[in-house]
Amino acid sequence: MQMRLSQVLTFCSICVALLLGSLLPASAIPVFARKYGFNCTMCHSNFPRLNDFGQRYRQNGYQLPGRENEEKTILETGAPVAARINGGFDYDRFENTSGEENIRQFRITSFDVLSGGLLGKSIGYLVVYPPKIEGSSGIAAQPGTVEMANVIFSRLVEGRGSVRAGRFEPAYDAFSVKRRLSFAPYEIYDFTFPGGIAFSDTVDGIELADRGKGAMSYAAGLINGSSSDRLDDSPQDFYLRAAKVFGPGEGQTAGQRLGVVGYFGKARPMLGDGSRQGFDRIGVDGSVNFDHWNVAIQLLRGNDDGALWGTASDVDFSGGFVEASYLPATKLVGFGRYDWVSTPDEINQDIRRWVLGGRYYFADNLAFHCEYSHRRQDNASEAGDATEKFYFGGLDFAF
Amino acid sequence: MRRVLWILLGVILLAAVLCLPQLDAQQFLANGLLGPVPVPADNPQTDQRIRLGQQLYFDTRLSADNTVSCATCHKPDAAWANHNSTDTGIKGQVGGRNSGTILNAAYMRYQFWDGRAGSLEEQALGPIANPIEMGETLENVVLKLNAIPGYRRQFQRVFGTDVTTEGIAKAIAAFERTVTSGPSPYDRYLMGDKKAMSPAAVRGMDLFNGKAHCTACHSGPMFSDQSFHNIGVGMDKPNPDVGRFKITNDPADWGRFKTPTLRDISLTYPYLHDGSEKTLADVVAFYDKGGIPNRNLDPLMLPLNLTRPEKADLVAFMEALTGTMPDIPAPELPE
Repeated sequence: MQMRLSQVLTFCSICVALLLGSLLPASAIPVFARKYGFNCTMCHSNFPRLNDFGQRYRQNGYQLPGRENEEKTILETGAPVAARINGGFDYDRFENTSGEENIRQFRITSFDVLSGGLLGKSIGYLVVYPPKIEGSSGIAAQPGTVEMANVIFSRLVEGRGSVRAGRFEPAYDAFSVKRRLSFAPYEIYDFTFPGGIAFSDTVDGIELADRGKGAMSYAAGLINGSSSDRLDDSPQDFYLRAAKVFGPGEGQTAGQRLGVVGYFGKARPMLGDGSRQGFDRIGVDGSVNFDHWNVAIQLLRGNDDGALWGTASDVDFSGGFVEASYLPATKLVGFGRYDWVSTPDEINQDIRRWVLGGRYYFADNLAFHCEYSHRRQDNASEAGDATEKFYFGGLDFAF
Repeated sequence: MRRVLWILLGVILLAAVLCLPQLDAQQFLANGLLGPVPVPADNPQTDQRIRLGQQLYFDTRLSADNTVSCATCHKPDAAWANHNSTDTGIKGQVGGRNSGTILNAAYMRYQFWDGRAGSLEEQALGPIANPIEMGETLENVVLKLNAIPGYRRQFQRVFGTDVTTEGIAKAIAAFERTVTSGPSPYDRYLMGDKKAMSPAAVRGMDLFNGKAHCTACHSGPMFSDQSFHNIGVGMDKPNPDVGRFKITNDPADWGRFKTPTLRDISLTYPYLHDGSEKTLADVVAFYDKGGIPNRNLDPLMLPLNLTRPEKADLVAFMEALTGTMPDIPAPELPE
C-alpha cells in the first residue's frame, strides 16, 4: 500500500511541477535569470548546459560582462533562492553472471536547492544543496551534503582574473558534470582508485582563473583531494588547466575549444595505513561547434601508484567520451555519447557505455527528458562482468 | 517516506506562490511599458512653447543656405527618421551616420549615436552648428530669427526675451517631447491583450529575452540600456568610426555607440549607426554571427546559433514594437 501511495505522490508532484511550469511565465526561473528578468535560454542552450553567454557570465563571477557597474547585489534584488527537481519513470536492468535484476519505478531522482548572486561588487557566491533524503521506493536517496558553496572574487587585476574558494566544480572538468545533458555519468570522470577523488566530484579548495589575450583561459587550483586522506593531511592536490577558443564564442555553442588539463595528487590507500602515494591525470579535450551541432571530446589518462589499487605495479588507465548534441530549435535537443575506460590487466575493469537521449522544453525551465543508456563493465564485482540498461522518461524542472 | 514527499510538494507550491508576486519586481533589465515623458523642471511643456518648437523644427531657415531643417533628416513620414543610410546636409554634403528617429527620444538619457548630448535641449542645437548638416552659426541663426517678427513675438511671449540660442533649444526640445509613439502590440500584450501579438512575435519575445541575448543591452521600457557598446559595425573598414571614444577619449569607449531604442524599429530602416543593414532580418543575421570582431568588441557579442524560424520570430517580435505614429503636420511658419 505504502509503495503504491508513494508512487502516486511522486506522479502527483511531477504533475504539479508540470502544471506550475506551464502556468508560470518564462521569467519565473532560477536565481540569475529572475534577477535580470531574462529567460533561461539567455545562459543555457539548452538548460542545464551553459551556452557561451552563460559561460562568460559564470567566468565573470555571476556578473554580466561589461556591465559590472550596473549590477545589483542580493540585497537589492529578489530572493536568490531556486530549486531544481527531476523525476519520472526509470527502468534499470542489471545483469551479471549470477543473474539479473530489474527495477521499474516512478521516482524523484534528485532535488537541489540553489542560491547564488552577488554579495558585493565583483564578489559572487553560489550554493547548491541537495537536502538529505532517505531513499525508498519513489524517491532516490540524497546524503544531504553541500554540493557547492563557494565565493568568487572576480576582476582582480585590471578587470581580469578571479579566485574561487570553498566547494566548487573545478576547472579541470572541461565538461560540467552538474550541467551535462544526460543523467548517465561521464565514466572517465567517475573512474578512480578506491577512496580516490573522482573528476565528477565537487572539490574543497581554492582556484585561480584568468582569461588572457587570444581567447586563452587558464586555471590553477589547490584542493583537499581524496577522501582516503587523513584529516590532518595538508592539501597537496593541485591542477592546471589551459584552453583556447578559436573563433568567436567560448566553445559551448560557438567557437572551437581545445583544452589540456593536468591533475597531480596524493592519496592514502584504503587498505592498511600506508603513506600517501602519488597519482596523476593528464587530459585533452575539445569542443567543436558547427551549425547547430556540438561535438565534445574528452581524453584522459591516469597514472596511479599501485598501492592505491593494491597492485604490485603502477596502474595506467585511459578513457574518455565523445558526445554529439544537436539543437535544431530552442525547445529541443538530442544527444548521443560513447564513454570508455580501458584498464590494465591487474585491474581489468574496462567500461563501455553509450547513451542516447533527448530533451523537449515545455518552458524554458521545464523539460521532458528521455534517455537510454547501455553500460558494460568488466569484473564490476565478485559476480563478474556486469551490464546495465537504463531507461528514463521524466521531467526536469527548475524554479 | 510520505512525509518527505509531502514536504517536497509543499516546497514546490510554496516557492511558486512566493515567486508569483515577485516576478515583475526588481528585474532590473526587464523590458516593459513606458511611463510619462520626463520633463526637466527648467523647461516645462506649454502649448505655446511646443508650437514654437514645432515651427523651428520644420523651418529650413535655421540652416546656412535655408535648405535644411530638422525635419529634412528626421521626417515625420519616415517615422521621424530617414530611410537613407546616411543623410545629406547643406551643399549636398553627406554625413557619416544614420539619422536616428526622434520618436520617444525624450526617454533617452543620451542623444546622438555617440551620446555627446545629455538632453534634448543640448541636442537641439548640435545639427544647426554642424558644418555638414545645417552649417549655420548659432549667432547667425539668432540674428535671422530675430529678423522674423513672427518668431520674435513668440519668443517674447514664451520666454520673455528676443530669440536666443537657449530659447531655440528649449522650444525644439519641448516639441520633440511630444513626438512619441502610441501603444504597440507589445504594449497591448503586456497590458493583458494576449491576442495583440502573433504567436510568432510571442516566440520572438522569448528569444529576444533569452537565446538571442537582445535584452542584455536592449533592456528596459525603451529597449535600450541607455549605454554604449561596440558591436563591431564598420570595424572591418580601414578607418572605422570610433564613436564614443571621440567624445570621452577613453580607450574603453573605442568603437562604442549608443544602444538605440527598438520601439518603432520596423519603420526606421536602415539600421545601425552607419545604416549598413537594410532590413531587420539583416540586423538579426549580423548579430547571429556575433558582430564583427575587433579589439574592443563587447563581451556580450557572441554568435547566437539561431535557426531560420527563430530569426523570423525575432523579426516578428521587433515588428510588434511598432506603435501608432503621432499625427503632427508641418506647421505654417512665421514671417
